[in-house]
Amino acid sequence: MATTAVTAQDNRVAELNVISRKQRSLWGDALYRLIRNRAALVGLFVIAFAAVTAIFADLNVLGIHIRLAPYDPLEQHGKDGLMEPIWTQAFGSKFTNPAYFFGTDTLGRDNLSRLIFSSRVSLIIGFVPVAIVLAIGLTVGMLAGYVGGVVDDFLMRVTDIVYAFPDLLFVIIIVATLRGTALGEAYDGLLVIFVGIAVVNWVGVARLVRGQVLSVKNREFVEAARAIGAGPGRIMRKHVFPNILAPVIVTVAFAIPGAMLTESVLSFLGIGIRPPTPTWGVMINEGFIVFSTTPWPVLLPSFCISIVLLAFTFVGDGLRDALDPRSKM
Amino acid sequence: MFFVALITFTLAHAAPGSPFDRNANRPMTQETIDRINRYYGVDKPIPEQFVIYMGNVLKGDLGLSFTRQRPVADIIGQGIGTTFQLGIGALAFALAFSIPLGIISALKQNTIVDYLSMLVATVGTTIPGFVLAIFLIYIFGVWLHLLPFVGWGSWQHMVMPMFVLGLGAGGFLTRITRASMLEAIRQDYVRTARSKGLHERAVIVGHALKNALIPVATIIGPATAGLITGSFIIESLFNVPGMGRLYVTSILARDYPVIMGTTLLYAFLIMVANLTVDIMYGVLDPRIKVR
Repeated sequence: MATTAVTAQDNRVAELNVISRKQRSLWGDALYRLIRNRAALVGLFVIAFAAVTAIFADLNVLGIHIRLAPYDPLEQHGKDGLMEPIWTQAFGSKFTNPAYFFGTDTLGRDNLSRLIFSSRVSLIIGFVPVAIVLAIGLTVGMLAGYVGGVVDDFLMRVTDIVYAFPDLLFVIIIVATLRGTALGEAYDGLLVIFVGIAVVNWVGVARLVRGQVLSVKNREFVEAARAIGAGPGRIMRKHVFPNILAPVIVTVAFAIPGAMLTESVLSFLGIGIRPPTPTWGVMINEGFIVFSTTPWPVLLPSFCISIVLLAFTFVGDGLRDALDPRSKM
Repeated sequence: MFFVALITFTLAHAAPGSPFDRNANRPMTQETIDRINRYYGVDKPIPEQFVIYMGNVLKGDLGLSFTRQRPVADIIGQGIGTTFQLGIGALAFALAFSIPLGIISALKQNTIVDYLSMLVATVGTTIPGFVLAIFLIYIFGVWLHLLPFVGWGSWQHMVMPMFVLGLGAGGFLTRITRASMLEAIRQDYVRTARSKGLHERAVIVGHALKNALIPVATIIGPATAGLITGSFIIESLFNVPGMGRLYVTSILARDYPVIMGTTLLYAFLIMVANLTVDIMYGVLDPRIKVR
């Protein structure tokens, strides 16, 4: 008898606890799940670290000058070419110099400074084209899904064509052919890479958005909104858009490392960013000539790319699990 | 296919400069330039060139290479065997490790085995092939002198490129296998099989695995296409004389006929792969045909 009384009381306490727990919004809930995911958290820290490094590589705002890079990434220290990182001293390397922590490349440029400045280009390549892709993809996809008709037909035809190309090959063709033009020369070739990535990737986002809109637009809450007299613009903004956001966010999270990878592949092949601007891909390309002499000019940027790409993937995985707990893949 | 050809052709010809204006120190006379242009048929307007080109392609003639003075079909034919060899080897390797790994991690979900194999899969898909290749070249080629890393021919040459290519595809396949296996072992027919007293192994192999492999089998088509098209960086890196390296060198040299030929072939492969998937679905899963 006594035990039942206790459990009954416990149950009531538990009930009260449930009621008094602070309510979280859907997004708050997702954020909580994301932070609980250890791999994603590590990824976020790595990305934050890379971002801080990129921003403070050489920042001069409001009279405050912060500079993380010890040297100018383009400055050539003629006599100090191909220095090895200082820790190789412990393994008997004679070509080290405490002035260059990570050593130098063929032309005597400081590896550490070049790595730091490279993170700038990589992060820009990660975010800018993806933002363009998102803007175009969302607009076209929502129009195609909600309005249908000509926009829809157009989207489907374009998709068929773009899907027939291998992604990377298409980017390579675009970038390779436009390289000689004014567009290809703008900002050391940055602009043409933006264009290449955007042209190839917006279709995927548009198609995803279209599919999502199609599945949402006939649901009851949209009908209800229409019934109380909301216009198409308002329905799209307030009712459809928030409900299709989750898969779009996940796609974007994976598109960012994809774009960075594309840049590094292009630069590695010698048709990406123009030297002497340092990027990890360019560094690998340039260092490859002396690879069998000293591997460090190649190994260091390879490490950086791998770690940053892994970080983004972990965050992407975490986001997917957090936003859609059902699809655990 | 037609649109792929059209777009590639337009892009290739819209590029400024021609493959023949390389040597700035030794300018050619106008007469020579005209003769070269006439020889390769590039003196005509671009739309006309395109029509002629497409006509020839349908007859199986891919044109002449600008830089190698040989028919494109010959050059591609030489490289394609190597590329297929590499692609199939990589696929075999990918399947050999990804399917068992996927099954095991699904059966032992949320254990350390599962986490480890998922980590391998994630790393395999995320780390770019050429970066992985660099690490391997350094460790096995430069440091330990175990494997040659330039050229093609003996099995030692094939190990690293196949491993690198296979790991990327394999990581992806592992994830697919795990996901569909997880779904399959929660199905009613698996519970039925268990409840009628079947041996655990019979349940897994005969009932769950059979169904779980359907999505995996269908993904193999695109995966193969991905392996073959994705090999061009690996080929350039390991100096493998395949189609991929050919593609990269001809882009750098602006050898349009070769670029066109390889792109068309790649697009064709992708089309075949997608078609195979559709057919495979019907064969493997009769339920789909009914709909």
